[in-house]
Amino acid sequence: MNWVEIKVKTTTEAIEAVSNIFYEAGVAGVVIEDPKIYLRSQDSDRWDYLDIPEGLDFEVAQVTGYLVEDSSLAERTQVIRDRIRELPSYGLDIGKGEVALTTISEADWGSAWKKYYKPTHIGKNIVIKPSWEVYTPKAGEVVIELDPGMAFGTGTHETTMLCLEILEKYTKKDMTVIDVGCGSGILSIACGKLGAKQVLAIDKDENAVCIARENIRRNNLDTQIQAVKGDKLIDINTKADIIVANIIADVVIDLAKDAALYLQDNGIFIASGIIKDRKLSVIEALGKNGFDVIGQFEKGEWVALVSTQAPIGS
Amino acid sequence: MAKKVVSVVKLQIPAGKATPAPPVGPALGPTGINIMNFCKEFNEKTAPQAGLIIPVELSVYQDRSFTFILKTPPASVLLKKAAGLDKGSGEPDKSKVGQVSKKDIKEIAQLKMVDLNADTIEAAMKMVEGTARSMGITVV
Repeated sequence: MNWVEIKVKTTTEAIEAVSNIFYEAGVAGVVIEDPKIYLRSQDSDRWDYLDIPEGLDFEVAQVTGYLVEDSSLAERTQVIRDRIRELPSYGLDIGKGEVALTTISEADWGSAWKKYYKPTHIGKNIVIKPSWEVYTPKAGEVVIELDPGMAFGTGTHETTMLCLEILEKYTKKDMTVIDVGCGSGILSIACGKLGAKQVLAIDKDENAVCIARENIRRNNLDTQIQAVKGDKLIDINTKADIIVANIIADVVIDLAKDAALYLQDNGIFIASGIIKDRKLSVIEALGKNGFDVIGQFEKGEWVALVSTQAPIGS
Repeated sequence: MAKKVVSVVKLQIPAGKATPAPPVGPALGPTGINIMNFCKEFNEKTAPQAGLIIPVELSVYQDRSFTFILKTPPASVLLKKAAGLDKGSGEPDKSKVGQVSKKDIKEIAQLKMVDLNADTIEAAMKMVEGTARSMGITVV
């Protein structure tokens, strides 16, 4: 799929109005470049140094929106142009008011971060190795080879690290695991490497499922791990020893009820992707569904909870 | 350790729905930060505001780590709320779809003043009022 980047050169004064024109044309979001941000940011307490880009023109602000290249493109961009041209009649200085169109593709932005993605050690023995990096494992290390593409789960985020550390502790030989919201497949692969005999990796995003399958193959775990497209836990005929969900608090809360149904006796539910502020609401939802929280792990602003079904009658 | 910022990126995107598709991918790709990590954090922090567009200002550090702060909704969103509208006018010069008071304009300008990089309240009000009129909202 190709996208068209529509860059409007204007002034600080017209940024909000130009952004609105984009929204009304169906653009999902905009990028705002206002050089005055650098003037204001000088007194920011978020950093010590800031390089002001050379040759920055403080009078020119830019608003950029993106539209999918399709048959309605010409018409939609014309509406954007016309409406920007009208702005001075509403008392706004639009400066140059130039509108420039460029066609872009995912290849242009999808891989820049790879330069900075290096082998990462997590927990006691886990190593995440980007597939394009060379790494010689030391004895006892569990190496996960990964190309996350544009799927969640690179191993560099606190929530993923927490899950990996917990899985390293709880995954035992021959266990069955369900990984809800598998993204790149990183957690499923970790379970496979840690000895799980069967792992079901589920994601509602088809693209993530494809990426997970490639990563599973890359780690020679095709026989143990199956990646499928699905929403939450519906249509699964397996009961697991471990269910892991590294998503966000709201989804984890919704999932608590189903997790109770799809766990073996004494199975554990690992809930992650929870920002600290939401910890109590997740604990409450777990409690309501018969889970006892047996472990709380924190990194930065994030929390992962390990819980198990309380025995009936307790 | 001293933290050096290499770029500041400002986006306005739907709460809880950031994905690597445009505008997030093309805006953040060149900075070298992990786009998915940003999406995950943004979505979790903005989940309660689902349905709104939220401005976010990211600071990217030399080591490719980043922090971000969320801002108040865009002026156009606040104006629609004040006027009780779902949408602005498609032909603001001909068809007026709602109205707001000077007081509304001033309140929105005060709320948004820092985000708008306006030097004075008058400058911020001019921006907000012009935005209102460009949406077919009359200022009375």
